Formats: sequence, C-alpha cells, structure tokens
Amino acid sequence: MSEPVFEARRVSKFFPGVKALQEVSIRLAAGSIHALLGENGAGKSTLIKIITGVYRPDEGELLLDGRPIALGSPREAMAAGIGVVHQERNLIPRFSVGENIMLEHLATQLLRPIDYASVNAAATKWLDVLGLHLDPALPVSRLSVAKMQMVEIAKALSLRSRVLLLDEPTASLTPHETETLFGLLQKLRHDGVSIIFVSHKLEEVQEICDQVTVLRDGRNACDSRSMAGLGRQNIVQLMIGRSEQIPDWAARHTASSAAMAIELKGVATPFGHSNIDLAVRRGEIVGLYGLVGSGRTELAKSIMGLVPPTAGTLSVDGRPVAIRDVAEALHTHRIGYVSEDRKGEGLILIHSVLDNAGITLWRRLARRAGLLFDSAVRRDAEPFLRKLEVRTPSLSQLVGNLSGGNQQKISVAKWLAAGVRVLIVDEPSVGIDIKTKAYLHELLRELAEGGTAILLITSDMPEMITLADRIVIMNDYRIVGELDNSRDYVPMSEGIMNLIHAIADAPAAEAAQ
Amino acid sequence: MRPDDSSAAVLAPAVPELQALKRQQVLRLLLSNEFGLLVLILVFGVAFALLTTGFLSAFNQFTLNRTAAINIVIGYSMMTVIVTGGLNLAVGAIGVCAAMFCGWLIEGLGLPWPAAVLGGLGLGASLGFLNGWVVVRSGLHSFIVTLASMSIFFGMMLFITRAASFRALPPAFAEFGRMKLVGTVSPLMLVAIAVGGLLVAMYRFTALGREMLAAGAKPEAALLSGVRVGRIFILCHMLSGVLAGIAALLLVARTGAAIPSMAGQLGQDWLLPAFLGPVLGGTLLSGGRVSVVGTFLGAVLVAMLTNGLLLLKVGEFWVQTCLGLLLLVAVLLDKARRSYLARRRML
Amino acid sequence: MTAGLRSYLETDWFGPLAITALAVAVIGGLNPSFLSPFNIQVLLLAIAVNTLIALSQMIIIAVGQMNLAVGAIGGLAAVCFAGLMQVWGLPPVAAAVAALAIGLAAGILNGIFIAVTEISAFVITLASLSVYKGINLGITRAQPFYGVADSVKAFGNTTVFGPVPWLMVPTLVVVGLIWYLLNRLPLGRSILAVGGNSHAAELSGISVSSTLITAHAISGLLAALAGVVLVARLQIGQPTIGDDWLILSFAAPVIGGAVLSGGHVSTSATVLGVAIVAIITQALVLFRIDPFFVQVVLGGLILWAVGVNRWREVRLRQGPRRALR
Repeated sequence: MSEPVFEARRVSKFFPGVKALQEVSIRLAAGSIHALLGENGAGKSTLIKIITGVYRPDEGELLLDGRPIALGSPREAMAAGIGVVHQERNLIPRFSVGENIMLEHLATQLLRPIDYASVNAAATKWLDVLGLHLDPALPVSRLSVAKMQMVEIAKALSLRSRVLLLDEPTASLTPHETETLFGLLQKLRHDGVSIIFVSHKLEEVQEICDQVTVLRDGRNACDSRSMAGLGRQNIVQLMIGRSEQIPDWAARHTASSAAMAIELKGVATPFGHSNIDLAVRRGEIVGLYGLVGSGRTELAKSIMGLVPPTAGTLSVDGRPVAIRDVAEALHTHRIGYVSEDRKGEGLILIHSVLDNAGITLWRRLARRAGLLFDSAVRRDAEPFLRKLEVRTPSLSQLVGNLSGGNQQKISVAKWLAAGVRVLIVDEPSVGIDIKTKAYLHELLRELAEGGTAILLITSDMPEMITLADRIVIMNDYRIVGELDNSRDYVPMSEGIMNLIHAIADAPAAEAAQ
Repeated sequence: MRPDDSSAAVLAPAVPELQALKRQQVLRLLLSNEFGLLVLILVFGVAFALLTTGFLSAFNQFTLNRTAAINIVIGYSMMTVIVTGGLNLAVGAIGVCAAMFCGWLIEGLGLPWPAAVLGGLGLGASLGFLNGWVVVRSGLHSFIVTLASMSIFFGMMLFITRAASFRALPPAFAEFGRMKLVGTVSPLMLVAIAVGGLLVAMYRFTALGREMLAAGAKPEAALLSGVRVGRIFILCHMLSGVLAGIAALLLVARTGAAIPSMAGQLGQDWLLPAFLGPVLGGTLLSGGRVSVVGTFLGAVLVAMLTNGLLLLKVGEFWVQTCLGLLLLVAVLLDKARRSYLARRRML
Repeated sequence: MTAGLRSYLETDWFGPLAITALAVAVIGGLNPSFLSPFNIQVLLLAIAVNTLIALSQMIIIAVGQMNLAVGAIGGLAAVCFAGLMQVWGLPPVAAAVAALAIGLAAGILNGIFIAVTEISAFVITLASLSVYKGINLGITRAQPFYGVADSVKAFGNTTVFGPVPWLMVPTLVVVGLIWYLLNRLPLGRSILAVGGNSHAAELSGISVSSTLITAHAISGLLAALAGVVLVARLQIGQPTIGDDWLILSFAAPVIGGAVLSGGHVSTSATVLGVAIVAIITQALVLFRIDPFFVQVVLGGLILWAVGVNRWREVRLRQGPRRALR
C-alpha cells in the first residue's frame, strides 16, 4: 500500500470513568474510500471527533503525510486539509450557494467589499469539479438535503481538503440521490482524495468502500484492511465480535387466536404513510423493520395521537377509536411509546429519577383537587425501577447524571409503571451496553408473556430476529411485506433485505423496460 | 459506562456513600440560592441597621414589607411563565388592566368590592389566556407575543378609560393597605406569603404543578409522556395573569387608587422587579425548575436594598442603576455556582 | 402567476411597499391634507428618528438576539448631548461625538457581557437597561436640559428642500451604510452568518464573540445617534427620551420580514416598516381617532407581521420533499 495520507496511530481517549478509545489506529490511503464501522458506543464518534480536531487524544499520535500533527480545534483540522460533512448541516441557510462555499475566504478580510461575481465564479469552479450544475446565487435554504450535502463537499474541497470525512451521508437521501453521491465520491477517489465513509448501511459500504476499519468496545476490531474478500457476515462478525447469533430461547407460542390489541387498517397519515395495515395481538411482539427514514417512528407517533391519522381505522381491543393526543393514548387506551431519542423526547434530564419514572402516573394518582404526593408515586414506580435494576444513588438524583443504560431503563420503567397494554418500543438498545441490552430483551419477552402487545421498531437486525414473533417490513412509508420469524438469522435477514430492495429497485426495473 | 454504576447499589447506597451523600447535600444546601439570599439579607440588614438611622424603625419596616410584598407577587407572576421556558413582558400591562377593571366595576357598575376584585383577577386570567393561546397556537416565542400584547392591552386600557384614574374606591382598600399587624407587618405581606405557600403546594403536591415543570423542562418529552403541553402552557400564562392582577390590586391597596400609570409606560416599570426576584432566586430561565422561596427572598432582598440605599441618601435615581448591577452580579454568580455544581455532578 | 411577479412577492420589501403605497393612496384620498407639505414634513421627521431606532434593534435581530437597552442607551446619549452643551458649554459637534462615543461604549459593554458570559442577551440587556436609565436619571435628576445650541435647534427644524427636513440626511446616510454593511461587507455578512447558524459560522473562521460585540457596538452607536437626532427635533434634552422605543424598535424590523431567530433582516423593508408605522400613527391623528389607540395598532402590527413571517418561513422550509418530515 502507498504511503498513507493521514494516520492515527494507537490513539486513546479517556473520559471520567470511561475508556472511550484504546490504542485505536486507522490509516487512510490517497484515492480510497475508507469505511469506518462499529456499533453504537463502539467509539466511532470519539474517533471522528479526534480526527476532526474536536478532541485531543490522550495517548497516541496523528500523522499527516508521515509527520506528526496536533489538531487543537476543528479549525486547525480544516486548515490541515481534513474536511468534514456532518449529519447536521453546517451551512448558513439564507446565504447563497457561492457565498457558503467561499465563506472561509471572505471571513479573513472583514472590511473588504465582497465582489459577488467573482465569489460565484470561484464557487462555480468547485461545483464544476463535482460535476454539479447549481446556480451559485441560489440560497441554500432552497436546496434539497442531498444538494446541501454536495455544497458542503464543495466547500470542503475549496479548502483543499485531502481527507474528507462523511458522517452518515446517506441517512436522509433517496436511493437516487445516494447513487448521485456515490458517483461523486468515486470521482473524488479518482482525483486522489482520501474519503472516510461512516455509515450504518452495510450494503452501501460494500458497494463503494475499498478499505475498512471496524471498532468494537473502543478498540480496533480490524485496522485499515482491504474490503476485498470481506462478506457481509464477516463485517458483522467484526462489529459484534461473533457471528450474529440469536439466543437459543424456547420458541414462543402466541396463539393466533389471541385477541387483537391494536389494529390499523388502511391508515394514512400527514407524514405520507398510505394504506398501512398492521395488527398486534395480546402477548405478541411484532417487529417493524425498515431503513432509517422509512417512516417507522412517524407511524408510531401517529398511533400515539401526536399527528393523528388522516384516513383508515385504528382499533384498540377491537373497537375503532380516534386518538387525538398522547394523553388520550396513555390514559384511555393504555398505549405507551418508548422514544428512540432518549435525551430529546424520552426523558427530562434536569428532573429526578422519580419524577421521570412517575410522569405517566401523575394523572392517575392525583387525588381530589389534583393533590399528588411523592409517597404514592414512589409506591407505584419504585418496584419497576428495582425490577429493571436502575442504579442510582437515590430517587432524587437527576437523570442527566446517570449513565445511558440506566437512563434507558428509566424510560422503559415509566411505561411499565403506567401499566400499558400496548407498548411501542423504538430503537430500545441505542447507546446501551451489551449486558443491559440482553437484560432489556429478556424483559420485553417477559412483558409479552404477561399479555402486553409489543410493537418493536429497531434497525438492529439481530435484535429484531431475537425478539419479534412476526416482522413487518416498511419502506418509504408503506408496508411492503410481512414474515414470520424463524429465528434463523441468514434466511431471515436476506428475506427482509430482499423485500426492501425489491421495492426500491422496482422503479428502476420499470424504467429499464 | 461510568464507574459509580458498579459500586452504587440499586437504589440503596452503602454506608460510606450515604455519608458522602450527606456531605454533598449539606454543600448543595450551602450553595443554594435560597441560603445565599438569606445570608445576604442578614448581612445587608445588619449593615443598614448600623449605618442608617431609622432602618429598623417600625414605620420603615412597615413600608419595607409593604413594598416587598408587591414586588414578590410581581416576581411570582413572571416566574410562573419562566417555568415554561418563556417569559411574559405583559405582566405590568395585565396588572394595570386588572386593577383598572376592578376600579371600573366598583365606580362604574357599583359592584361590591369583593366581586370587583374577583372580576379584576378574572380579567387578568383572561388576558393571560390570550397570551398563552397565541403562543401555543402560533408557535411564536412568548417574547414577541407578549411584547405585542403588552402594547395592545395597555393601549386598549388607555383607550377605554381615557387615562382617567379611579380614586373613589371603598375605604376597605386603603384601610387594608394602611393596616398594621403587630406594629410592623402589613397584611399585604401576608397575602404575598399565602400566595407563595399556595404556589409551593401547587408545584410540589399537585399533578398540575408537576406537569407545568415537566412541560417547561422538555416539552417534547412531556408531550410523549401524556402531558397536554399546550393546555399546560396556557394555564401557566393564565396563572401569571391572575398573579399580575393580585400584585396590581395590592398596589391599589397601597396607593388607595387605580391609576393607569401605576406601572409606568406600558407597564414597563414592572419588568425589572419581575425578573429580579426569579433570577436571584434561582429559577431556571430555560424552564422546568422553579424556586418560589427563592423568588420571595430575592424580592425581599431587592426591596431591602432599595430601602437601605434610599436611607443612605444614595439618591432615588441611582438606586435603579444599583438594581441593574445587582441583576448582572446575580446572573454571573449563579452561572459560576451552576458550573461548579455541574463539574462535581451535583446539580 | 408569472415567475417575475412571484420573485417580487418573495422579496421582503414588496409587501411593505405595497402596503405603504396603498395606505398613502387611501388616506390621501379620504383626507387630502394628509399629502400637504406640512404633513409630509411631520411624517418624514418621525421616520428620520424612528428609522435609526429600528436599525439599532435590527442589527441585533440579525445576529439572533435582542436588545432591550436600545431606549436606555438612546436616552443616555441624548441627555449627555444636551447636558454637555448646557453644563460644560461644549460645541455641538464635540458634544455629539461624545454622546455617540457613550452609546458605542454602552453597546460594547453589552456585547462583551453577552459574549463572555454566554448569558442570554435578554437578561443582560434588561440589567444594562436599568443601569443606563439609572445613570440618565442620576445625571438629570429627571429634569430636562434646555441649553441646546441654536445650531442644533436649527438643524432640527429646517428643511433641505421642499418638505424634506435636514434630519433625514444622517438617517439616509446610515441606511445606506447599514445596507452596504449587511449586503457587501464581510463584517456584516458575519453578523448574518452568526445569526443564521453560529456553529457553522465559527467553523468557517468567523469569531462569534467578536461578531456579537461588533453587532452590539453598532446597535449602541445607532441608538445614541437616534437620541442625538431626537434632541435636535425636540429642541430639549428630555430624560424620558427612549422610554417608548422598545415596541417600535421591534415593530419595524419585524414588519420588514426580519427573522427573530436571526440570520435574516432587510434594511430597505425595515425602513418601509418604519414608514408604515408612521403613516398609521399620523392617520389616527388626522382622523381624530384616539391617540391611545396607537399602542393597540403597534401591537397588532407586530403580531400580524410575525404571523406572516412565520407562515413564509414554514413555506420556505417545505422544500421539494414531503411537507411534514
């Protein structure tokens, strides 16, 4: 392999009580697309922050062209030629495409008047490099997400970036836009740029990357090896440290005669769902699988009454109902939703453990004149906190001070305490460790045994195959198929992916005819 | 994962940790706004008693706690909206409107004063409802909505009353304002204490109060936990309106008349006391955390400083400058305190 | 609808301009004295001062904050201007320069406090409002300064030509400069960039804290200029100058389409916003509608304008893709 452009050599990063990275290395060759993979919590984002100058490594060194460098800030990283395209857009929305691309150059001379003609000409040069035909005078707020991303890439290139880091670039792109992006990345690779590609979608990684670094538990599971000869299973094995094995649990018998807990027929929502049919029986775990952006979370929020459906019927316990808000979903129909966004929607970090676990109980426990006492809340909520083994110095500890795993336990506990009969669980194991995850899985099964109907939303295929009785597949806001779970990983995962891709490919096939 | 996870037992800390916990609690108490305010009140109280003549006189104490009482309730009024992470610039305007309406009910309609007082508070609640409704429905920030509504409410009030005062109020008002209990305590102060007690009870011991705090701290999370956030926010604004009305009626009791200019142009004169109390008291401006006692003590400190500085003959005009500086110092100290506690993970 | 017309409709100034034209036409039609030279002069005098007040707030809105102390700074500069002439007998130009310097310093202090402490601009400027106002009252003891130089008085009540007062001159110069700053100079673009997305601006090499301080400095300077100009117009240094600026300072930029979260303001549309407010105020006087009603109209205008802005914002964000996603 040629001399690496950029190299991180045995870098470590410690946070109070946490070893986020331990002796991790990555070598980036010129003219390559390098995949950076790892499960949530494996240390990917810490490594990204070290490469882009947000954090300084506690041990180890960074080398550019073989010479050690110190990156004290994101600005220094950019100056050194390391460009980043983050998930959150880093553009000034009301500024033009050209001005956004050239902002860096303009900001150096605060009092020299801007000549927009030459700014646009210079920006056009970089847009041309990418083969993009965009009017540089257009405000970026008028662009699609995909185009904004391209503008960010052009901006990074204008700073003569030789290393370009793309963090989940395809998360909000359509398949067609993804293809355009990949074409562009291949062009850049041809021009000698070294690209780091961070993605959850292994299909994409296999399609476009030529090298790969996998992190697991803050260490290298593999360091900058060639993608050649690596199959999907090998990559997964590297990521989770074993091949995807499904715990050998006794098969569950969910009588197909069990009563319907919740049923959707022909439901459409303002989000863009149409003709959704979905049913969960008492004691059944139904998985809802789909790629990021396929509309699963939005469907859950619609069921909860946050944005009520516009068509179709929603039945709870066999009776058609109209749920107008979450309070009604919870208090009248006993439906609960564990949000995927724990910090944003699941918990109130500045409030105590007890207040978070008890929030769903307040209305029920309030006595005459709305009086409510902590003792009552504690009596009803504490058993569930104990059951879930929440570790906290006291119930008055602020949730924000607890670890991610404990926070997740609390966000589940509050729904258990509420005694819901239908529980929608959205990405339950994001950011929690393997032990807690396994525990959570057992708990969800136990709940189902007790008669709770569970709708499980997860992008984690092993989790899905571990838990679900049936798997419903959603793509682009539609249900595209349903499979009974055989708990046999390879055929199940292939079956699911085939269902998703059959739909995604259909328009292309039609065009070909 | 954090190291304390493995050492701390489930919900029941071991003995040495319990001691550490106690030490932390003591430290947290010592660093709390309420404790700091108490110390400051004592320090300044002693200083003014030594440096001025008449600070401790029964008459001065009476005026002091009468002024403080009004500022305390103004502070509560702002606090109940700060809980939502918003603010209410219209407290002064709503207060004056409520007081003027009460005056009109008595002089214009000849209602007995208790009914008129209820009517005034009802108007305060209605104006608060309008604010809350517009904020919730439009999704606009409460700053701009209440900025506009303070102008509208105040303008309407002037338009309707022709800027004329109501001075022929029943003697009950003025008597209430002049009444002295135990020589020094004004009943206005008792009202402020009683209202504070009710607010403490509401935030601690009712589902409604809890929901207000939860909705203010993180509306998205509260919404997904079954709290009707919009309704709660509107209630917060209504409560603020009622409290603004109470503050204005206390002011009427003190001056013996309902005057359109009692809170300055557009009611702007109330803004500083309205923020001083809650901010000194440690109410979180981003919402979700509230200190009724802190607001109370903050307002008392402000009233005391004003009174003491006047007795020191600083000149009434410079007092405003001092209060502005006090607000600056207070937010700086509060920031330092919070970052200290956050570093030690004690917040 | 043709593409040309649509692009006009999407500008910030088109709506306010249409309303201004309509208001002038309707009010002038109903009451021809509205278009009398005297009335136009009164109107222009109000616009001259109020534009400076509005721009002082607009520059802070551009950076995504608010400045409650605009009136207090203006008032302080006004009494200093008049006081320096009366008490120390300074020549008007020197007094004006000193007053502007005080405004600049007051703005810089606001900016430093906000940038360094990262406490919300609302609280800081509320505190400084009270400090500056207190200093004003402490200096004046709430009594006006009458010793304004004759040259200043003449500047305040003579016209350049026709009904155009001399006071319009500094205002027009400032409008031009602010437009140039925000549209052509990187300094002004930095202010808008920080207001639009401060994280992205920082990553592009813009110093957020010095940009904030600059914006507050400009705001303080403009508020002081408004105060000085108002002394010329009123012919005395009133300590109450600035007390009623708050609502107006927000109304005009918001009518001009300013986004309160920052990053987007329009100088020309803000001037039109000032004109609309002035015309409506004048019309209320002309039609003998209660002057107290002005406050109601101002508040209503703000609500209406932020409502329209929000609607435009939402429409802008609904790009080619699904609406609610």
